Amino acid sequence: MDTLILVIIGLVAGPILGGLIAGLDRRVTAWFQSRQGPPIMQAFYDVAKLLGKEKMVVNQWQILCAWVYLIAAATSVALFFAQGDLLLIFFVQAVGAVFLVMGAMAAKSPYSQVGAQRELMQILAYEPVLILVFVGFYLVTGSFSIEAVWSQEMPLLAKMPLLYLALGYALTIKLRKSPFDFSTSHHGHQELVKGVLTEYSGPYLALIEIAHWYETILVLGLCALFWHTNVAWMAVLLVATYMLEILVDNTMARMTWRWMLKRVWVLGMGMSVVNLIWLYAG
Amino acid sequence: MSNLLLLLILLPVAAALVCYFVRSSAVRNLTVVATGAVLTLASVGLLAQGAFEPIAVGSILGISSDFLVTVLDFALLAVIFFYGLKHKSLLIQGFTLAQAVLLAWFEFISLKHEAVPALMGDQLTLVMVLVISVIGSLICIFAIPYMKEHEEHLHLKKSRQPRFFFFLVLFLGAMNGLVLSNNILWMYFFFEVTTLCSFMLIGHDATEIATKNSVRALWMNALGGLAFVIGMMLVYSETGTLNIAAILAAGPQGALMVTGVGFLCLAGFTKAAQVPFQSWLLGAMVAPTPVSALLHSSTMVKAGVFVVLRFAPAYVDTFLSTGVAVCGAFTFLACAALGIGQSNGKKILAYSTVANLGLIICCAGINTPLALTAAIMLILFHAVSKSLLFLCVGTIEQAIGSRDIEDMRGLYAKLPRTALITIIGILTMMLPPFGVLLGKWMAIEASADSNIFIVIMLAMGSAMMVVYLARWAGSMMGSREEGAKSESQALLIRLPLFIICLAAVALSVASPWIYNSLLAPWLGSAPFTVGFGSLESAHGTFVVVPLFLVLGLGLLYAVKAASGYRKTRIMPPYLGGANSSVDGTYVGPMNGDVPFSAGNMYLGELFAEGKLTPICNALAVALIVLMLGGAL
Repeated sequence: MDTLILVIIGLVAGPILGGLIAGLDRRVTAWFQSRQGPPIMQAFYDVAKLLGKEKMVVNQWQILCAWVYLIAAATSVALFFAQGDLLLIFFVQAVGAVFLVMGAMAAKSPYSQVGAQRELMQILAYEPVLILVFVGFYLVTGSFSIEAVWSQEMPLLAKMPLLYLALGYALTIKLRKSPFDFSTSHHGHQELVKGVLTEYSGPYLALIEIAHWYETILVLGLCALFWHTNVAWMAVLLVATYMLEILVDNTMARMTWRWMLKRVWVLGMGMSVVNLIWLYAG
Repeated sequence: MSNLLLLLILLPVAAALVCYFVRSSAVRNLTVVATGAVLTLASVGLLAQGAFEPIAVGSILGISSDFLVTVLDFALLAVIFFYGLKHKSLLIQGFTLAQAVLLAWFEFISLKHEAVPALMGDQLTLVMVLVISVIGSLICIFAIPYMKEHEEHLHLKKSRQPRFFFFLVLFLGAMNGLVLSNNILWMYFFFEVTTLCSFMLIGHDATEIATKNSVRALWMNALGGLAFVIGMMLVYSETGTLNIAAILAAGPQGALMVTGVGFLCLAGFTKAAQVPFQSWLLGAMVAPTPVSALLHSSTMVKAGVFVVLRFAPAYVDTFLSTGVAVCGAFTFLACAALGIGQSNGKKILAYSTVANLGLIICCAGINTPLALTAAIMLILFHAVSKSLLFLCVGTIEQAIGSRDIEDMRGLYAKLPRTALITIIGILTMMLPPFGVLLGKWMAIEASADSNIFIVIMLAMGSAMMVVYLARWAGSMMGSREEGAKSESQALLIRLPLFIICLAAVALSVASPWIYNSLLAPWLGSAPFTVGFGSLESAHGTFVVVPLFLVLGLGLLYAVKAASGYRKTRIMPPYLGGANSSVDGTYVGPMNGDVPFSAGNMYLGELFAEGKLTPICNALAVALIVLMLGGAL
């Protein structure tokens, strides 16, 4: 019963918090750039407006893929709130990621095709790091399930600091923030062409936006697990992490996929492996 | 009981002879379909009776069956040696001769003949029999219309189908014999029969390339046969028995025996096409598609992983076990990487097969109840999904004349039914809540306990496989014109495709019960408990049925939303300028139509086959030497 309530809270609060964070993100970004920026609720206004627009698609696969992306993202958040298995949550999240790519490939458009290929590169970069982070969780708690985290006395950050850094690395890619935003890269400095999202418009773009909010919550939820002992410190950790993400997003130029693969595999995996060796030894 | 067993082994032999000697296509087709039906029923019947203790076969037609197997063994080696001579392959001749000499010495000098119950059936066997008999039969049935069209393409004067179906059906009998064997000499005999069958089938089209690749397959598998003989002799010298059940019950017994088991694993590696032996399976792609489907899903390579898995209790907690796990994980990683660079659909499937076999072998090496469960789950679900995908590629190839995934772009427009089934097949290979992913999940959770190198290799390989499978599924989607001609499929093509596709989904839903009724009794301590349609272990929980419900209902809703797409406005894609009236072009300079195209990224600079293969082969050889040497 408690699990069910938690799941419902997750499903409802997920997009609300995700939308607010998206709004805050834009305000902070504007502040960095000495602009005023839109109201915090702007993300919701945008999505509401998109939902009201005329439905236009290239073919039916896009509708299917947009829906499955949203459903998979929501399911992974639900599983997270149900204290489920970390690896399973990750694999369910991958359903969404794969369908987003397939939807982009379904349209015969060079922009969305290129975006899809680049998104695959991003998946290739972050997936191994995430799996290794979850293995770290297993080594500390003795289980892949989130439930086991709560029985820990010490915050996990103490035992897996490098894994947290690697996770941050992977999450920047997952959230498609600079310097790793090339799968949704703009074209001609306008927001009309955005890689994998190029062919999505109106209500279907809104679905993807909502799915992205869910993903943001999942990502922050994973970070929150590193300081489960104290709510205040958890909040500090999350705010600090997200602020750092925004800072990196705004100060870095977009890089190529080659740069990303090499950096992430060498640096991200390297940090993970070093941390895992401590844990295996300990 | 023993009638059922003999039926499973001997019926395919009899049917194969009918296919060969009765030169009427009607009789042959009927024989194949009837054999398939009987085998399916027999395997289900065997499953219903459950596991059984080793039983003796006694004599057939007054001749002792052990003696018969011995005679056939040497006859088989003579046949293989003959083909070695015919194709002037010194490797085949050498390996076969060495096998014959060692075997003669073993059988006539060192072996103290005692009665060994020849056949046994534990849960592992039952699963294998099911996979072989059901999936294998469906592939044989699919082959009937396929081979007809195949020969029409080739314009043969005299049909070679009798020979083809002889080996195809014989293969099923040999595989059933292999997995049911309790006498290690019997296992060796059937092991060699599968080698011969695969050689004949790969070289079936008798083109220069087919012959070349079949010879390579034969010498690599003859090497495996040699390793099998050596392993068998070492194991016998330490344990003094040919009885597999007794060997397994005894567990690891001293360095000599463990090394012997190591050689048996090496034999399994060659048969399962593990790096550095992957080239024979890739070469086997020249054979007609039903052969590839059979080799990759229910026979041949599964014989390899079966041998490694069968002897898992004989090397548990030894250095050999770790060695096997590392070799398997390395193959998983190497072939997942090699797959990224491929655009040939069959090659992608081949690399993904080898990678998954590597994962299964890795699980056998990790050798915990959780890992062994993962291995069997992977065998079962990989067989279903992979056979489906091969049959799909075969169907697509006959329709569009290419197996390149770039040529399959937007295939949904032309072949909606085949494309849809292929996409479903690909999704069952890589996404939850389907069985293959369930197996992979178990494998990763099991590997977390074992060794950091294994974990890293599994994590990287798993991401790479997603890349090449997702890319393929995505590129087959596309727009379909309103009122386009519907796709026609022969009944014997449509039926196997449909049945296997349904099985891939239905069996995945049933996985908790498959685990409960089949796998849990096999393992000493069951790693999972089943509750609410979920598999729960100390490591974590996979919510199978709830996930199916949520994602399934979600998918249904999405399909419904998508099916109303004609009501939405259908727009041409954005091209950064004006779309011209011709599809796939935009209005360029001088108002001319400029065509555009997009292709997949194959990352040649990182994952080129030519560059990567020698490195992987060298590393794999080193690992195998390490595995065998360390076992001593």
